[in-house]
Parts: sequence; structure tokens; C-alpha cells
Amino acid sequence: MNSYLAGVLVGIGAVLLAAAIAKFRSRKLPGSVAEKAEVLSKRRARMLPPLAAIFLAQQASYFSTPATTAPRTVDTVKISAWLLLSIVLLAALATKGFWFHSKEVRDLIDDENTRANRSHAMRSGFLFAMGAGVCVYVLTMFEPVTAREAVHIMMSAGIATALIQWGFLERRAYQDA
Amino acid sequence: MPERLLNKLKDRRIELGLTQAELAERCGVTRKTVNTVENGVFTPSATLAIKLAQALELSVEQLFWIER
Repeated sequence: MNSYLAGVLVGIGAVLLAAAIAKFRSRKLPGSVAEKAEVLSKRRARMLPPLAAIFLAQQASYFSTPATTAPRTVDTVKISAWLLLSIVLLAALATKGFWFHSKEVRDLIDDENTRANRSHAMRSGFLFAMGAGVCVYVLTMFEPVTAREAVHIMMSAGIATALIQWGFLERRAYQDA
Repeated sequence: MPERLLNKLKDRRIELGLTQAELAERCGVTRKTVNTVENGVFTPSATLAIKLAQALELSVEQLFWIER
């Protein structure tokens, strides 16, 4: 089997496992929609920065392999899994997330303040991705950079910044004055 | 000097004996949103401001004002 395909399958497996765990954990959630939204929203605020760290840590598997050498099978699997994780994180950033919960809970979790925080985080992510793009452009004047490396750097900068910023804003929102 | 939107959300909420969660439920938002509006961290939309004012039985102008 093609190792990139294996990576995508590993990624899909990880996503399905995460969904199953989320579904299992949601059985313990309190009864009312408001209470569920409160618990899930706090959980999201806690999870976003570690998620960004995991996402960034995955870059190591790509950049630890010299561009001149053929990547090992394990590296291509990791790279494909990274691509899938990127898509899932982008979808989470662009939508309400919590896809396995009821519409009422999802609507309440994505209330006015959350939407504002998410927009702010997306804007920061965009600016950092563009900044990374400028840096890569300058870097190509001195070092050869492959298209895939450039995409990795820009996506990492954009997605990780958005996740960290969103997590920070959500945590701040729960702090009392 | 920049303008700031101030409010007496917390005072009025306590006066009516409501918790943040109860007020949030009345307005159809999460407790987090009520908390950020109370703390002045978040400026609510006109829609939410009206909902908050109705839930706290005040006019929007009584609940919110601009500090210059």
C-alpha cells in the first residue's frame, strides 16, 4: 500500500477514535443544553493550546528528513496524517466544531463572544501565515526551499497561531474581573 | 481618549438575584459571554444588548453607557 495513503488512513482512524472518545465522554455531560455548552466550551478552551503544540510537534517528522533524501515510509505516513489533522483543525476553526453534538448545543457553544474570538483568531492566523510567506520568500533568495516545505511552514504558522490565539481568548473570557 | 462602553450588568443581575448562568440562559448565550460583557472585555451586538436589557428589565441606555 502507498505509504501516503496509509498515512491518510491512520489520520482518519485517529479522527474516528477521537470522535468515539468524545461521544463516550459526552454521556457523562449534564442534562441541560446550557450546562453541556458550558462544559464543552471550557474543555475547548483548555484543549486548544495543547492541540497547537501537538500540531507543531508533528512538523518535526517532516523537517527532520533532509529534502535531498527519499523520505522513509514512516515519515510519509506521518506527513499524510499531518495533512489530515490540518484539514480537521481548519474545519474546526472555520465551523462551530463539536460536530458530534446536537444542533442546540453547537449553536449555543458558537455564541456571539465565541464567534468574535474565533474571527479574531482567524485574522491572527491569516496574518502569521502571510508573514511566514514573506519570510519563506526572502529565504528562497539564499536557500532553496521546496514548494512542500513552504506550504508546511505557512500552514503551520497560520493554524497554530489561530489555535493558540483562540485558546487564549476563550480562557480569558472565563476569567472573572 | 478612547471611548469605553460601560455597563451595570453585574449590579442589576445581583439586584434581581440572578446568576450569570441564569441570565445567559434567558438571553440564549453561554455564561462566558455574560461574563465578558460584565467585565467589559467584550462589546455586545445591539441584538444581545437589547436581550440583556429585556432580561434585566431595563432600557438599553440604562444598562449601557459610553465613558468619554
